[in-house]
Amino acid sequence: MSRLKLYTAMYIVLFVLATVQALVEMTGMLETAYWTAFGIIMVLSFLKALAVAGYYQHLRWEPRSLTVLMTLALLAALALTGAASYSIL
Amino acid sequence: MSNADADGPDDTRTEGTPRADGAGAVAGELAEPDHDHEFPGMGSIRRWFVTTNHKDVGILYVVTSLFFLLFGGVLALLIRTQLWVPGGTVLDGLAYNQAVSAHGLIMVFWFLSPFAFGIANYVIPLQIGAKDLAFPRLNALSYWLYLFSGLLLMVSFFQGASFSGGWTMYAPLNVPVYTPHIGASTAILALTMFTASVTVGSVNFITTIHRMRAPGLTMWNLPLFTWSILLTVWMMLFAFAALLAALVILSSDRLLGTTYFAAQSAGGSLLWAHLFWFFGHPEVYIVFFPALGAMAEVFQTFTGRRLVGRKYFIGAMLLVAIQSFMVWMHHMFLTSINLEIKTLFMATTIGISLPFDLMVFALIYTMLKGDIRFETPFLFAFGGLVLFILGGITGVFLGAVVLDYEFRGTYWVVAHFHYVMVGGVTGLIAAIYYWFPKMTGKLYDEFLGKVNFVLYFVGFNLLYFPMFLAWETPRRVFDYRPEYIPWHRLSTVGAFLLGLSFLVLIYNLYISYLDGADADGNPWKYATTAEWAVPSPPPLENFDGLPSYEDGNLTFRSESAGRGGEAAADGGRTDTPRSADGGAVVTAPETGVVAKTSHEEHASHASIWPFVAGAASFVVLVGLSGLQQGSFPSGAAGGFYAGTTLVGGGLLLYGFVRMAAERFHGPTMAMAERWPFAGVDNMKTGMWVFLASDVVLFGAFIGSYVFIRVAEGWTNWHHLIPADHVVLPGLINTYLLLTSSFAVVLALVFAERNNRLGVVASLIATVGLGVGFLINKALEWNHLFHVHSEAFPNGWELSTNVASSTFYLTTGLHGAHVTVGLIIALYMIVRAWNGAYLDDEAPIEQFGLYWHFVDIVWLFLFPLFYIL
Repeated sequence: MSRLKLYTAMYIVLFVLATVQALVEMTGMLETAYWTAFGIIMVLSFLKALAVAGYYQHLRWEPRSLTVLMTLALLAALALTGAASYSIL
Repeated sequence: MSNADADGPDDTRTEGTPRADGAGAVAGELAEPDHDHEFPGMGSIRRWFVTTNHKDVGILYVVTSLFFLLFGGVLALLIRTQLWVPGGTVLDGLAYNQAVSAHGLIMVFWFLSPFAFGIANYVIPLQIGAKDLAFPRLNALSYWLYLFSGLLLMVSFFQGASFSGGWTMYAPLNVPVYTPHIGASTAILALTMFTASVTVGSVNFITTIHRMRAPGLTMWNLPLFTWSILLTVWMMLFAFAALLAALVILSSDRLLGTTYFAAQSAGGSLLWAHLFWFFGHPEVYIVFFPALGAMAEVFQTFTGRRLVGRKYFIGAMLLVAIQSFMVWMHHMFLTSINLEIKTLFMATTIGISLPFDLMVFALIYTMLKGDIRFETPFLFAFGGLVLFILGGITGVFLGAVVLDYEFRGTYWVVAHFHYVMVGGVTGLIAAIYYWFPKMTGKLYDEFLGKVNFVLYFVGFNLLYFPMFLAWETPRRVFDYRPEYIPWHRLSTVGAFLLGLSFLVLIYNLYISYLDGADADGNPWKYATTAEWAVPSPPPLENFDGLPSYEDGNLTFRSESAGRGGEAAADGGRTDTPRSADGGAVVTAPETGVVAKTSHEEHASHASIWPFVAGAASFVVLVGLSGLQQGSFPSGAAGGFYAGTTLVGGGLLLYGFVRMAAERFHGPTMAMAERWPFAGVDNMKTGMWVFLASDVVLFGAFIGSYVFIRVAEGWTNWHHLIPADHVVLPGLINTYLLLTSSFAVVLALVFAERNNRLGVVASLIATVGLGVGFLINKALEWNHLFHVHSEAFPNGWELSTNVASSTFYLTTGLHGAHVTVGLIIALYMIVRAWNGAYLDDEAPIEQFGLYWHFVDIVWLFLFPLFYIL
């Protein structure tokens, strides 16, 4: 598959996943099974982010050090968010 | 880790006149314009406004930071004078609070790190064998943002009152209800500007040290000072991003009326503490590490011995840099955070002391194994070690939850952190004495240096040690029990003695610069690093040849051989073999003749635009400081602030556009060690590193939202949001941004296919979609501002509640990123129309990295703010 076809396929996937997220809300799942819906929606967001970073930002083809760099930054943000939120539970 | 590789154009941009030796070049540099045909000589004032050279910028940093040292020092003396008697009357309450707050802010932010980075700016490229930092104009921009941020802080004193809530700026004291003066807002904006300067500098140093090391200079062989700076900038990159988030939120609370830190907000004051100390604890090591690295270099040189356990020392520093992000809650033991997390953070805090033990013993053992020469740099380095040990031990008390209950908020804390922070200053004074001959070509006065040390060490301990004894004095309060009067008076005497020692330091440096004996390339008997292998001061582009360590010792290759990658040593080869890591003694090269071809394009060293951008930022922020609840006040004052904002904004845009359009050749190295970013050019590496800091910035914003929502009750949130806030606008904007990302990718594909119209059309589509995104957002916001319902009779505005505050500010920050991207894209459309990017699509890829990142952020904002 050429890069252009790959980019186009990724665009369609991203478009569909965004729509699925909205559909989860429209089906009323948030009212009946909030945390399940929460999990689905956040996993879809992470999948979309991975697709954009991996293919549009070319991380898939770049040295792994760049992936490590961004992962470290993400871990720092998650550590702050998680530990701070836990501290008041 | 050694993987020297070749990429990009060559870095040989020196002019064609061969020099017999470096010293001649230095003399010429002082007397006439440098060989960059637009670069004035050092005697010209213009040079200091246009320079981008790392050595010049380093000197600017050092001189400016010494000015702020005097500023902060005078404030300290005012504080100590006030404390001569309990309830002193030299200053009134507000003035005292301003003096305490400004003293802390100035010393921590505007003196300590900039002083260290002045030295680092000068020394690091020399130590790693580079001709300059990776992005010289960004280096100059970093300096000008620093200088103007300091000036902005000074302006704040003339706007009613500066910030008076302490250097930690705790909530809710930091919101206008408690600190209502415009000057308080200006001080916050000044710190925000300083944070931007630090971020720019961090990206630059990280890119430089990782990608521009001389061939053969592997990570393990990096000089210890370079190692310490490398770890410092990595910590800075992440820690200052969190501080930036905190300051942007605080600025919004003060200027726009959001309610994150308002007293009545759920978790507001705790949120500030989390954000601030997530930055604040790594900041301790950010301040101390450069001093530690310098002390290690000085110990090696003045004991004539390689540091004992060098690799373990580096490993310990690396461990501390990582652990520094896992201990911040020990500053919050007295808050309402739960006992489990307090216990966990007590353990991590005690854990971080262990690597420091190793470093301290490595330094002590190096002394025992070496042959010590008690010259001024060593005296200060040794003094710094002693003071740091005392500071460290007294800090362990504060890491224990039970003891912290007693000590928090007392002079024990004041004494402890001054032993640590000013202990760091002691190490940096060692550094300035150590590298002064390199920076000026002059030797300092040794007698005055020793007088300086005695005054300093006695004054320091007289000032800070009595604070341990009078520890029950409440912090930031100028009243105390009468039995503490003798201790406080001793402190005050010590403060003046310490102040005098700094005057001796500055006098020594000044008269030595004017009348000191000439220093040769290496004035020290056992100096081991590459900066001592070039003349003092070094020539403009540092080396008359390409430094290489590939055969195990430092050699200089001819430029042409370097381009070809051949290992041909030329006349620049040094007399004595040396290694980077302190394994052998260095001497200055006798000759440095390098054959150069006449058609070589030389590096640029002059640009006025960093100065313009820094000055314009200052003007913008002076204007914005006048904002209250999202609007400027009526009348002449409001007109002044609004007009200043507009003029500054226009000038800033103009400055950046001119900087982008300017032809400027930065240094790249054809052959270099580039681990771990081999195969990624400097620009792309810099962009990725910047994006990593942006991840933490947005992470802290999203984290703040999550924290506030958890505090409110995660599922008990929707009553704060009007029913009109629906999914559809967010979904439409998701489609628009995803499509715009696809359009940027298409622009890259068309550039690779040499299709000019395709590139232009794709970029126009990107801009169109981005504008559509902003219009959709504006319509949505306008609707929400004016909703009328029983729950929200006055609309849903920024200040309505924490839900509206988090929604508007987080999506607003994202919108600001979109706007910046659109400005860049518009500029690129013009260039693409003129045929740019067809031979070199890298700029499109770099822009794409930014744009796609903005897209990714939205992919999380959409569910968090529209669905969940």
